[in-house]
Amino acid sequence: MRERLPTVGRLAGTLAAGAFAIWLSYQLSPGDRSLYTLMGLYAIVAIGLSLLIGFAGQISLGQGAFYALGAYTAGILTVGVDPDDRLVNPDAGIDPALAVLAAPVLTGLVAAVIGVPLLRLRGHYLAFATLALHLILLAVIFAQSRFTGGQDPGLAVIEPLEVFGWQITGVTGGTARHTAIVWGLVLVTLLLALNLVGSRPGRALQAIATSERTAAAAGVDVSAYKLRLFVLSAGLAGLAGALYVFMLQFLSPDAFGVFLSIQFVVMVAVGGLGSVYGAVAGAVAITWLEHELRELGTRPSLLGFDLPDQAPQVFSVGVFAVILIVVILFFPRGLLPALGDGLRRLRARV
Amino acid sequence: MRELLQLVVVGLSTGSAYALVGIGMVLIFRTTGIINFAQGSFAVLGGLFMVELVDGLPRLLAGALSVLVVGFIGSLVGFVAVGFRRRTTPLASLIITLGIALLIASLNLLAFGDRPHTYPTFFERAWDIGGVLVQPQYVLVAGVTALAALLLTLGLQKTIAGQALVACADSRRAAELVGIDVRAVAVIAFAVSAGLCALGWVLLTPVDPVNYDSDVRIAISGFAAAAFGGLASIRLAYLGGLTLGVAQQLVVGYADEIPGLGQQGRQYELAAALVIMLVLIAWRSRHEVHE
Repeated sequence: MRERLPTVGRLAGTLAAGAFAIWLSYQLSPGDRSLYTLMGLYAIVAIGLSLLIGFAGQISLGQGAFYALGAYTAGILTVGVDPDDRLVNPDAGIDPALAVLAAPVLTGLVAAVIGVPLLRLRGHYLAFATLALHLILLAVIFAQSRFTGGQDPGLAVIEPLEVFGWQITGVTGGTARHTAIVWGLVLVTLLLALNLVGSRPGRALQAIATSERTAAAAGVDVSAYKLRLFVLSAGLAGLAGALYVFMLQFLSPDAFGVFLSIQFVVMVAVGGLGSVYGAVAGAVAITWLEHELRELGTRPSLLGFDLPDQAPQVFSVGVFAVILIVVILFFPRGLLPALGDGLRRLRARV
Repeated sequence: MRELLQLVVVGLSTGSAYALVGIGMVLIFRTTGIINFAQGSFAVLGGLFMVELVDGLPRLLAGALSVLVVGFIGSLVGFVAVGFRRRTTPLASLIITLGIALLIASLNLLAFGDRPHTYPTFFERAWDIGGVLVQPQYVLVAGVTALAALLLTLGLQKTIAGQALVACADSRRAAELVGIDVRAVAVIAFAVSAGLCALGWVLLTPVDPVNYDSDVRIAISGFAAAAFGGLASIRLAYLGGLTLGVAQQLVVGYADEIPGLGQQGRQYELAAALVIMLVLIAWRSRHEVHE
């Protein structure tokens, strides 16, 4: 909410950080790179969600569903929609690049359909409705295993992603180039979001964020703007999901549990509601934290205590939850803005 | 026809347990403005405690103890969810209750493990009513639920604490002006609500086993029930719960006959109920004037 149209200095800083992020893609070992790619994909989702929560004041607990929908749309279109045809014809699907483009379109459409009635209601109906959407989607993925592969055997998508003969992912999945493209997209999304905040629709959104009534009185079509934001955030999640497929080359509903949707909200909450830079920082921090906690849980013992089998899950979810509660209680505007405030106060004192 | 009646009986009973969760949600939302996602966790805790306690204690005592303990946990959750600063918005409170739900789920996983828990029903045999076999447990759930809802309504009307809750629901600011401690009211609302959720699953667990991760399913069903009445009416939330329960059972029972679903129909149990609820909510939104 606080960011204005980027000044020249800020723009230069953002571009430099983006260039560094892209450069880093080529420097990391393959193991670190997959975590780094995940951070980038989640950052794209978090930027969209941050705009939605910050300006429309509505939580979506279904960003994970849109992410999954994007992933399965791209995956199924790539291997071919008809399961019978898939087995005998290796060219049953469409071009992976087209599949990636189709994913955000479809997720955006779904968001538009459920958004029209739900965004009209007050009281966080959208939160539960999107969570319901997530559960419904999971049920469909499990049940329609003929198309999705279900939990077992899952859906293998081994076709490499290629744009005009320019190979992005290889036969072994994610490459440095793929990671670089993901972070390039993070930069583009970031700049688009900043531009949006500074433009005429952005000012309308800021008016809505301050007071819906006042905005409506000033002639802003509140529900239309909210709906557009919701569709935009869903589309971004769909795009990230589609890019995820070609990194892992395998889809299973286990990767898209309800926890994922909650994580996206946490990334935004930690980074600061409505802050676009914060969303990226939140995505990077939370993805890293979740990964580290899970790693910690896989150790046989910690501080002299033997860890049970469920430790990875208990650590990554339970400890995560405690951090979430503390951050929201004491830094309701987000950890990053709070840090900025603290620094400013410190500087004023010196 | 017989099959239909059977499904309706089961649906009414699981539906009344959802209704309790929904009623609790309405109570909390009206008094504090918070949507409490941890409702499902209260229900799961109630069921799991009951399974543990029923081994060594008389059933009535075990049940009462479970409800009381969960009620106490609920009051703690309420205390935290309201926030320590005035700045804690309803949005922040919703995220806090989400965090609490995650925390309780992972603690449950640690303490009880990843498997469905249940305990034997109170009754030996099913009743045969005009050819329809009825598990007495279902009747018990429905009956106790109706009684609890009635007592809650009476309590809101007749007791001082109840009137304070109603005052808060009408206007929090006005309630504060006449000297009602809003935080205390929130704690009471959360405690009562947690007790109701626990009660539902203390009774339902023998026929519907709980696992550590059942909380999402329960919370969302409870919200759907509450949303039926626009998050405002206890009576409509009750009706919403029953509708949801019956709809769910009908989908389970007749899934095979719905074209396109086939054998996998059963997996749509929750999904189908949620779709129905989404449509109902969307239909309601026609009346809502944008503010």
